[in-house]
Amino acid sequence: MMKRRGFIKKAAGATAGAFMAPYILPSGRLFAATGSQLAEHVVMVMFAGGVRQQESIEQTYLDQSQGIPVQGNIMYNMLDGAPPTQKVVYGTDGNLAGDTPIPAILSSTLQQQGTLFREVRSSHAGHYGGMNALLQGNTLYSQGLRQKPLNPTIFEYTRRHMGAPASKVWFVGNGIGNSTPLMNYSSHPNYGSAYGANFLAPNITFGSQGQEHLSNAKIYHPEEELDPIYQMKYFLDNNFENAGGTIETIYNTEEEKQSIKLFMREMYSLGGNIARPPISDNGDLSTVGYAVEVMKWFKPTLTVVNLGAVDGCHSNYTGYLRALHRADHAVGHIWNQIQQIPEMAGNTIMLVTPECGRNLNPNPIKDENDWLAFDHSDANTQRVFTQMVGPNVPSNLVRGGIGNQIGETADNCPTIAEILGFKADVMGSGLISSTARSLFDRI
Amino acid sequence: MKKLWECTRMAQAFSLHRLFLLMLLPILCATAGCEKDKLYEVNEQTILPPNANKTKLKSDQQYIAILYANLFQTALSSDNLFEASECVKSIGDKDLVHEVLISNYMNSGGVILPTNEEMRADIDGFLTDTYNRFLVRNPTEAERQFFKNYIRTHPNVRPELVYFSFALSNEYQYY
Repeated sequence: MMKRRGFIKKAAGATAGAFMAPYILPSGRLFAATGSQLAEHVVMVMFAGGVRQQESIEQTYLDQSQGIPVQGNIMYNMLDGAPPTQKVVYGTDGNLAGDTPIPAILSSTLQQQGTLFREVRSSHAGHYGGMNALLQGNTLYSQGLRQKPLNPTIFEYTRRHMGAPASKVWFVGNGIGNSTPLMNYSSHPNYGSAYGANFLAPNITFGSQGQEHLSNAKIYHPEEELDPIYQMKYFLDNNFENAGGTIETIYNTEEEKQSIKLFMREMYSLGGNIARPPISDNGDLSTVGYAVEVMKWFKPTLTVVNLGAVDGCHSNYTGYLRALHRADHAVGHIWNQIQQIPEMAGNTIMLVTPECGRNLNPNPIKDENDWLAFDHSDANTQRVFTQMVGPNVPSNLVRGGIGNQIGETADNCPTIAEILGFKADVMGSGLISSTARSLFDRI
Repeated sequence: MKKLWECTRMAQAFSLHRLFLLMLLPILCATAGCEKDKLYEVNEQTILPPNANKTKLKSDQQYIAILYANLFQTALSSDNLFEASECVKSIGDKDLVHEVLISNYMNSGGVILPTNEEMRADIDGFLTDTYNRFLVRNPTEAERQFFKNYIRTHPNVRPELVYFSFALSNEYQYY
């Protein structure tokens, strides 16, 4: 009888071996590296959940939202600029609620390390449409809300054209609302589930629900127990397939499934003691902690992280400032942690873009500071930014500005394709927006 | 004289009426089913596989509720059902999360399973019960043969593993 520790070690080794070995794509095409990559790993952060340019890029703090003449930068991991000196409410609680700003994580800002597109066009005023534009490189107005993306996502392009296996493509969501779990693959007939990403909403999987229903899972022996289970299942599946029944699957191999189960077991055993940011007092920061754990375990080719706490701005402006400050903290933490993963350090490009902006004028809802809240539906919603940092990205470069929009949210998809070496496949697919192009072509 | 003539006319009319009724009688008999219809029947033949009528995918909640009932022979509470379905939604690979959920249930104790000895003493009965429990149908002869051979030639296969494979099968995800 193999000892449990030895078994886990062996299984992990087998998994690592499986990743290194050549493999056949679901389409039958043999993977071959193109050698034209700008980096081997991409991390895209779908930033925060609807961000006003005024409080982010323009650093006007309360000046252009509440008519209070206090300005300053509350995103100092990402952007250059001094923080506000008065009416500080966005930090952690000291003598007063939120009066202690979170210390910067990065010694130099992402703006200094990379390229900032200050004014980027967001075609959608909503979260799902905005996220779909980032992932699909398209801005389909026929896209329904509770519907799989109609055109292929960057996950599917990555798996199909680059040959990445499922466990190398991850979508880490901030929850399961807003159709978020639908976004790991499209309903496009030439792509779809066979090229989908592994989706994970870690605050649920590893939260109280997951602890109750998933954490006590038995790890079965791969040869003695799992093999017979799969053999009997495949027999039943073949019979059912003959009758016309099939199930959509993202094709994690048995070794990949085993690795994911071991990862889950590890997360449960850590009991929440994961690679969280120094301050971890909201859902986004917890999501980011687990996203870093995913990166440490799987070293994905593509990781997309979705943050959404800023959306509280519909009814609580003070909460919005706090969430925005924490989203910056989260991005700084991700970049910092990437540099501590040997396989990803110096070999990863990170993109950060909000899925949409927010309104110029407030709604009538006031918070505890008597400050007005903001929805997202007007022309100001079309104003967002994109940051890019990593190897082959020009440092300390700023492109565009007020009245000079350069780029659009749909650009992120072909940009990732260029970084990973299959830009021609995406640009030639006929499935992305005719105006979308790689941000490297806009520099 | 006139009266006699009228009587003759009435008698003629009556006999014509009777004649008409006599001619109508066979037709009425024929249409009223005096003679039994001949029925031609065909033997019942199965032309579709027994699982072909399962065309609807179970929702996450349906899958979990039925799985729990099949394994524990009791219903899952609505709170637990809601939480478990959120867990299933939180992981993109449905095969994987179903596997984790099933193994979690298998590890929790209380799953109603025959012993290995009981299974091997009556493999036929075990297969019929298992097919009925999970797939709500009887096994085909080919399926029965496959599983009988598989169980006989794999001494490490126990009822838990068979149940696991049925709960994980694609057919089980349909109704």
